[in-house]
Amino acid sequence: MERAADFELKIWRAPRVGDKPRAGARLFVTMVLACACLSALMASWLPLQFSVITVFLFAGPHNWFELRYFVMRLPARFGRSRNFFAVSFAGIAVLTVTYISLPAFYYSKLWSGANWPTAIAVWNTLLLLWVATLVWLRGRQRHARDWSWAFPITFGLSSLNWLAPELFSLAIVYAHPLVALWFLDRHLRRARPDWLPAYHRCLCLLPLLLVAIIWQLARTPALTDDNGLAWRITQHAGAQILPNISSHLLVSVHVFLEMLHYAVWLIALPLIGVTAAPWNFKSIPLARRPRGFPRLIIAVMALALFLVGMLWMGFSTNYATTRDIYFTVAIAHVLAEAPFLLRMI
Amino acid sequence: MKSTLIFCAAGFTILAGAVLAFGDIARPKETPSPVARGKSAFHTSLAVVPEAGAWEARLQISPESLRQLRAALDNVPADSSMAQNITNSSTRTIMAGLFMFLAVSFAGVWLARSGHSRNQKAAAAVVIAAALMGATAIITRGNAGPPPGWSWRNLQQNLNGGTETRGSVNVEIMPEGSGIKLIVPLYKQNPNTDRKPGE
Repeated sequence: MERAADFELKIWRAPRVGDKPRAGARLFVTMVLACACLSALMASWLPLQFSVITVFLFAGPHNWFELRYFVMRLPARFGRSRNFFAVSFAGIAVLTVTYISLPAFYYSKLWSGANWPTAIAVWNTLLLLWVATLVWLRGRQRHARDWSWAFPITFGLSSLNWLAPELFSLAIVYAHPLVALWFLDRHLRRARPDWLPAYHRCLCLLPLLLVAIIWQLARTPALTDDNGLAWRITQHAGAQILPNISSHLLVSVHVFLEMLHYAVWLIALPLIGVTAAPWNFKSIPLARRPRGFPRLIIAVMALALFLVGMLWMGFSTNYATTRDIYFTVAIAHVLAEAPFLLRMI
Repeated sequence: MKSTLIFCAAGFTILAGAVLAFGDIARPKETPSPVARGKSAFHTSLAVVPEAGAWEARLQISPESLRQLRAALDNVPADSSMAQNITNSSTRTIMAGLFMFLAVSFAGVWLARSGHSRNQKAAAAVVIAAALMGATAIITRGNAGPPPGWSWRNLQQNLNGGTETRGSVNVEIMPEGSGIKLIVPLYKQNPNTDRKPGE
């Protein structure tokens, strides 16, 4: 039953890029290094402009690729994973709706601003408890694995969250792009194990680039955020929560990490053959199996493509408002990454 | 009528004289009014430096402190310390404590149920306890250190001796008044023992 519900690993083993594996690894490393260095350079030099352009170009498409990846990873039958997926979908739905309704409650004056940190702390706690439950359920699926250590860690993190809820939320904003690197690691383990050492060496460059950005921009003056868009970008990077750190540094680090996140989903994972060709719906188990839903899957993907187009139109007409709406709704894809990453572990 | 007028005039003269001369009533003992507290803007360090050749008193502010002051004036939340953040909300402190208690309890149960050896369990228990106590002490600043004003205890002595005194200061923004006022805790000097303010 579980075998039927689990994913077929064959589809992850795409044909090699070149005849020689080393040539493929070399190309992969070159692309990773070029992408990381160029992103760090651009994010440090023109943080606001780079943020505007990258979100405009890549936010929608990377969400489409993520949705396709998630749909592709959904088994046709849940089998023993029924509870895991039930908790996953319920958590994604509840947490997304509550996250979206938080600003709505705030702007409708249903509570005072003084209660805002408490509301954020409650939401963060629910998120942590949901992730801990998923970890525990995943541990139960795997034989001889006791993953109940997730609960003490979750309670410890919840304690820190209640001490400084806004800082904890900001930590999630900065940590989320790094999750993509973990996805890439897990897929390289399965699809391209010979590329893994080179990838790990590339990862060592990440803290060095971050230290270089911090060293270069720590004493730079704050960015001019006299217009609504620049103000939103600096606020998103945490300029209000960390007023003693240069907003130039905060925006640069955030944009750099975001760019890495986009690069993984749009370049690296398709390169190693994880997401298959976008138009090849036969790679999706839910569409391929006899008792699947091929039309529904095609309709969902077409609707998602339409929304990407709408997002571009929104950015073109009113960038600031569309950006606000996007980053509020995009919490759904942040949440969805948790169960699918756990399925890879 | 005449006697009434004379009586009133005499009474007025006595009263006027009593008011002008405060009568003969002993003046009440002056009690120092408590110093008003303003809105706390940020916490920083302060050095009081007596300078023999200085023409006038000078107040020097670092760019970082100026930035913090500007943020406070713009109603931007300053980067207050973790302890200040915690003491601002009792609900959040209680919740943080509750979750810390749950974390330690669950960690203990997990450790007891895990298949590690007794030595490993003991080592893990020591690490968990040390981490918990350390985190609690750091977050709440425990009660280990001296009070913040302790570094000002030798101010008088240092001023007389012309040496520098350095300590922490809480910058407050007052709703009214003019100029800048520096309030330092006063410690009674005792040659044998140092005593805390008010003792």
